[in-house]
Amino acid sequence: CSKSWLEPLPKGQIPEEKYYKTAAEAEAALTAVYDVVGWQGNGYVTKVGTVDAASDDHLAGGGGPNDVTDYQVISNYTLTPATGPQAELWKKGFAGIFRANTLLAKIEGISMDAGVKARYIAEAKALRAYFYFDLVRFFRNVPLMTAPVVAIDDMFNVAQAKPEEVYAQIEKDLKDALAETNLPDKVALATEAGRLSKGAVHALLGRVYVWEQKWPAAITELAEVNGATVGGSKYGYKLVDNFGDLFKSDMAHKFNSESVFEISYNSSSNGGWDCVNCTEGNVLNIMTGPRGYKILKPEQAPDYVSGWSFLVITKSLFDAIHGDPRYKYTVANLDSLEKNGIVTYEKGFNNTGYFMEKFAGRVANRSTGGTPELNYPQNIYEIRLADTYLLEAEALVRNGESGLAGTRSFTLFNAVRARVGLPAIPVTLDNILSERRLELAGEGHRWLDLVRFGKAATFLQSKGFIAGKHEVLPIPLLELENTKLEQNPEWK
Amino acid sequence: CLQISAKAVSQQITLSEKNASLKKVLKEVSRQAGISIVYDETLLARTRPVTVMVKNASVKEVLDQCLRDQPVFYSIDGQRIIIQKQLAPQIMRDTAITVSGRVTDEKGEPVPGATIRVQGTNSGTAADADGRYTIKVPQNSTLIITFLGYAPQTVTAAGGTLNVKLALSQTALTETVVVGYGVQKKSVVTGAISSVRAADIENMPITRPEQTLQGRTSGVTIASSSGQPGSPANVRIRGLTSFTNNDPLWVVDGVVVDNGGIGYLNQYDIESMEVLKDAASQAIYGARAAAGVILVTTKKGKAGGLTVNYNGYYGLSAPAKKLKLLNASEYAMLRNEQSVNAGKAAPFADPNSFGQGTDWQDQIFNSSAPRQNHEISVSGGTDRSTFYGSIGYLKQDGIVATDISKYERVNIRLNSTHKLSKYVTVGQNLGYAYDKSIGLGNTNNEFGGPLSSAINLDPITPAIVTDPAVAAGAPYNNVGAVKDANGRPYGISGQVGQEITNPLAYIQTRLGNYSWSHNIVGNVYLEIQPVKGLRIRSSVGSKVSFWGGETFTPVSWLNSSTIRSVNSFQRTNNQRFDYNLENTISYNKSFGLHDLTLLVGQGAYLDNHVRGTDVTYSNLPVNNFKDAALTFKVPTDQVKAIGTENWDHKVSSLFARLNYTYDEKYLFTGVIRRDGSSRFGDNNRYGYFPSFSMGWVTSKENFWPQNRVVDFLKIRGGYGVVGNDNIGDGAYLPMIVSGRNYAFGTGGSYKVGYSPSAPANPDLRWEQTSQTNIGFEATLFHDLFVNFDWYRKLTTGILQPLRIPDYIGYSNNPPSNVADMENTGLELELGYRKQIGEVNLGLNGNVSYVKNKVTDLGDGKQYITQDQATFQSTSYPITRTVLGQPYNSFYGFQTAGIFQNQAEIDAYTNKEGKKIQPNAAPGDFRWADINGDGQINENDRTIIGNPIPKWTFGFTVNAAYKGFDLVVFTQGAAGYKIFQGLRRLDITTANWQEKALGRWHGEGTSTDFPRLNIDDPNRNFTNPSDFFLENGSYWRLKTVQLGYTLPLNVTKRVGMQKVRVYVMSENLLTITGYTGYDPEIGNTNATGVFSIDRGIYPQARSYMLGLNVTF
Repeated sequence: CSKSWLEPLPKGQIPEEKYYKTAAEAEAALTAVYDVVGWQGNGYVTKVGTVDAASDDHLAGGGGPNDVTDYQVISNYTLTPATGPQAELWKKGFAGIFRANTLLAKIEGISMDAGVKARYIAEAKALRAYFYFDLVRFFRNVPLMTAPVVAIDDMFNVAQAKPEEVYAQIEKDLKDALAETNLPDKVALATEAGRLSKGAVHALLGRVYVWEQKWPAAITELAEVNGATVGGSKYGYKLVDNFGDLFKSDMAHKFNSESVFEISYNSSSNGGWDCVNCTEGNVLNIMTGPRGYKILKPEQAPDYVSGWSFLVITKSLFDAIHGDPRYKYTVANLDSLEKNGIVTYEKGFNNTGYFMEKFAGRVANRSTGGTPELNYPQNIYEIRLADTYLLEAEALVRNGESGLAGTRSFTLFNAVRARVGLPAIPVTLDNILSERRLELAGEGHRWLDLVRFGKAATFLQSKGFIAGKHEVLPIPLLELENTKLEQNPEWK
Repeated sequence: CLQISAKAVSQQITLSEKNASLKKVLKEVSRQAGISIVYDETLLARTRPVTVMVKNASVKEVLDQCLRDQPVFYSIDGQRIIIQKQLAPQIMRDTAITVSGRVTDEKGEPVPGATIRVQGTNSGTAADADGRYTIKVPQNSTLIITFLGYAPQTVTAAGGTLNVKLALSQTALTETVVVGYGVQKKSVVTGAISSVRAADIENMPITRPEQTLQGRTSGVTIASSSGQPGSPANVRIRGLTSFTNNDPLWVVDGVVVDNGGIGYLNQYDIESMEVLKDAASQAIYGARAAAGVILVTTKKGKAGGLTVNYNGYYGLSAPAKKLKLLNASEYAMLRNEQSVNAGKAAPFADPNSFGQGTDWQDQIFNSSAPRQNHEISVSGGTDRSTFYGSIGYLKQDGIVATDISKYERVNIRLNSTHKLSKYVTVGQNLGYAYDKSIGLGNTNNEFGGPLSSAINLDPITPAIVTDPAVAAGAPYNNVGAVKDANGRPYGISGQVGQEITNPLAYIQTRLGNYSWSHNIVGNVYLEIQPVKGLRIRSSVGSKVSFWGGETFTPVSWLNSSTIRSVNSFQRTNNQRFDYNLENTISYNKSFGLHDLTLLVGQGAYLDNHVRGTDVTYSNLPVNNFKDAALTFKVPTDQVKAIGTENWDHKVSSLFARLNYTYDEKYLFTGVIRRDGSSRFGDNNRYGYFPSFSMGWVTSKENFWPQNRVVDFLKIRGGYGVVGNDNIGDGAYLPMIVSGRNYAFGTGGSYKVGYSPSAPANPDLRWEQTSQTNIGFEATLFHDLFVNFDWYRKLTTGILQPLRIPDYIGYSNNPPSNVADMENTGLELELGYRKQIGEVNLGLNGNVSYVKNKVTDLGDGKQYITQDQATFQSTSYPITRTVLGQPYNSFYGFQTAGIFQNQAEIDAYTNKEGKKIQPNAAPGDFRWADINGDGQINENDRTIIGNPIPKWTFGFTVNAAYKGFDLVVFTQGAAGYKIFQGLRRLDITTANWQEKALGRWHGEGTSTDFPRLNIDDPNRNFTNPSDFFLENGSYWRLKTVQLGYTLPLNVTKRVGMQKVRVYVMSENLLTITGYTGYDPEIGNTNATGVFSIDRGIYPQARSYMLGLNVTF
């Protein structure tokens, strides 16, 4: 036979040497980086779900004590280096970094519009920073790579960087992105919603500075997002008038004026059980829905779908938010609905009677294509304006501002409260922590906030949290095997 | 030929023996004359010692002298002298007719010395040197023509000329075996080959061809992956050769057929199966032979009259075993105890009030599931054309959830050969099969399926809700709650949820779903023999398959975790096309006692050419399988379509083989094959696979001492290298893949992203398996055949995706050559055949031992975690591949008894005096501190068992007496552990087996079953440990068959040649200590680990009635 007879004929894949040649291929490479933003692991593990389960606002829930084990063990703090959500979060972060690095390594050789190229580079760098920021917060000691490692032998010789080195790279990447004139201030929503803009990158950098406790820098960055005057952001960000509208999944309410960086999902991918992590739908909706939900009085009952009762809301959060105007948009009180004979539902594991109103799947947004469970279209906010308001207020107070009426922190802080009709109060760190809890409940902030405030042990002890250990996740056990990585000292 | 014999016979012999045994003298004559003398050992036992003194005498003179007045005479047969029984003095009665004729062999050569005897008398004669005979016999008497090495033939004497053609009999001396690209006399084979013949399997209750090898061939481990009818079994030849693929290469009439596709064969069509076990015999199949080669030869027609055969049986199957599960009261009692132990309220006020409850196994087991198998074949032909055609039908109902567990197959075969001229032969083999399989899904899988549900469901829940009040309330009022024919809902458990659902309801949601396949496998060949010994052959073979399935998923509410709110109908269609083209030239030449055969060949192979589509419509306006159709026009966003396009796998090969024998005494075979594979890059595309083997028929040596013990002895040995390219197509190339999608914009669509899938490995190379084999074959005491082999098999550069760390960020691992592994083993086959009075007795046994050891994992790695087997909710994977241990051994914690009291916990301390298990409570396992660091964590895991049987064995008894025949076939395996994962660990409310009643519940109550605690803080149940392991050894009475053949005169009267009826039982008895359904557990998942019982579909026990008829 001739030699060419033995050459494989690729089907459905493209040899690397033939790829990364055109602008369209550069865009496809960028899409691959964004794909990781919406990452949902095969075991239903997401960043938001993990942070929620770990917090004092939620319990893992589900059908039984081992249903989605990764959430159970983070919720009751029995995670080990072998078992827990860290493996998925680790994998996600580095997948994003690799794809960003690949784009950055390949795009130089692509002949295409220089402006578009520069914008893609800026986005890739900002996304790389975004992934590293999560990794360094969760794991503290991570390998730092700014180019893809392609030689197999090199892959086992990567060492962990110091956290400050990682932060330095994050800052550099975000600043590089901001310096790029081709990164737009705002994106065209119709076609580009979900992509990073200058405003989003400023917000990210501001958040990074907050974690680094670089208060003046944080104030500068966040003010860039929030605007010199509240409501006067140059990127057009404004708090949505009706708090409840934030969690509607129709197109009119997605990517609203409060949205700074939004994780995008929709129901168009027909996702099925054969590949749970392939769907473009949001799995959080079916996971958090009340289990065995059954309507008895249709005219009074919310149109939840019967879900899997994960991430149930704790009595503690219920008590904290019960009198708050945001309560009805945050808590689905099945306990009360059942007692009033409006619905029945099945008491799953950890049942409290309270479910996540923000994310519970609805009949109204259930898709008809693919597997409905896996194709809910609701987005998740990575950053929304209320968050950056509260962060800036916090940075100001920590930087020495009094937080009393007349200060910028007071204005920012109370703008968030005023939106839901709450009276103004002075800004204190305690007030900020509890305001963040109520405003951002269930959106994947609480546990990170507690860690950042140094209050995790206080609030989470009853769940099994051990101070000095559980502030950081263990490096996934498999990553230590045959590599130069060392387990975090807390987990040795 | 004549010259040789003339020379030999006229050889000058010098002898001086006094009262020597005849055998000794004959051997000496044989040695001096340089010719072979063939005799029957038992015959010589009756001869007298001889005294002979000759000098330079001829062979004839010596023999005449020695055999004078002996009960034997001799005849000269070409190159041999044959000693035969002297016929009794012929009492020639006054008989009616004279019959004369010629006895020839299949090639038409005379058979001098053949005996022609009148049945039931002592009268007879022998054929002369030209094969001619004349005999006077009574009219219509039956003549029996016999000759050593040939099958006896019976003819009716009708006067005149009666020519007889004798066929070689299948004895150790003349038996042939199929080797790659040819046939060899078994006596001169130098490789390790095990065979199964049609006679061994024809009437056996076999649904798939690989089952025929179990217990009948040494060195072959077979483990069924499911008792679902039609399910394939795992075949391992001489242990595990590789990490990724250990399925042998199947070659059917020269066509390579993928392992999964072998099910199209009908057992009745199989003439023989040969298992090539050592590298020397495999090397001719170089590239893909590493895991062993199985050659299947289908039946061919024979010249002569038309033969019509019917074979078939009908029977019923039942489960051979039921698990002993708790009844409702016991279940409630343990549930209470489990909660109370965890400091929680007992869920049931009065456990005894529940009584027996539901026996879920009874709900889904069928103890009279019918099975049947029928075949009709027609064969025949002329001197120029022969054919064999058959049609077969098999239908088998499963014993579990029969409504959704069935298998049906139709086979058609046509084989023919045509002699176009003296030199040119064309032929074809064609097999077609259609099968339809209704599978219950999720077999040997802890995630649901009827069997797993029956094991895990609580016995409190009723199978069917009969109380209308309950039936009207939640959860039975949910849309999709499944109801029986009377409108009563199937019980929905309030105790056990997730994937575990009422199996009766589950069955209703799968009714009608099935999968199907059409397989067409065949070849056409042209063979030219222009001069004697030269054979040129061209063959084109192909396998074409079409397969698919239809699945309707109705709206259903099985429990709160298992809800289908939208129905869907899925149809898959796939096609696959494989072909091979082979051209070979062989030349055979004998000169003197030398015999030389040279084969050279070329082959081109393409496989894996798969194209498929998979379409699912959601939200159809109907809600059952029958009414579902893809012609309903649903909106396009409710249509999901997926395609499959496999890369072609191609191999291009050149090969050569030399066989040389001297006097059939010194034997040599050498093979070289070069393969090029599309799976490797330029650096390593071609692999060279050499082998050689030698044999020495020691018993043919003149110095071989005469004895009554060893009649034949062949010592053989060989070494060779074979390869494996099974790593997926194009894996050495860096590829960019799609599917990295993200939803941008507000238009409700998404963009398709592309990114690299796995790092490239341009140095990817062939996995090589080198094997040394030493063995012998012997015939002892004339009737006992022994075959022994020792081997050592070393696989280097094992192909497996190398686990790269996740921090690198690729989504897939690069294919690599990661490890080395060794298998050493022993194999013994024994056969005994004896006629004792009127009883014909045959005994066959075999036993094999194999030891598997991973010898290198690269770069000083002590273990790898690739392809570890996991079990739902255990805290760690349950297997691991560790250096120096068998591949993927069971890995976990070692229990060291149960803490009976707090004092024992307090006393279990480390060097510093600190408690090793400070949080344990009485009733918890004491975990062995394997690494001695004074605490229990993941580093205390160790190898706890081997999942692959070290020993496999089989034993068959064949007995015939007058018209009756009996076959008893037993087989078994030993030396391995089973991980029993029947109970879902994550569902703490799942039912238990009765052995849980023996749990620890107070000091001294148990030393091996820990306390029940719903929180299980000591991880007694979620830590993988030896607690879950059981000895898997078993011995099984696989088949017992008793047959009766009607007397010939009766049969003839109704115009038939043979009528046989039989009764048969399969899996009558299994002796094992294993507590699950069945200790024979193959692998059903990708990790390829045997012996993990996740609720394996048990093998059925069947009783059958069968019939063979030949017209």
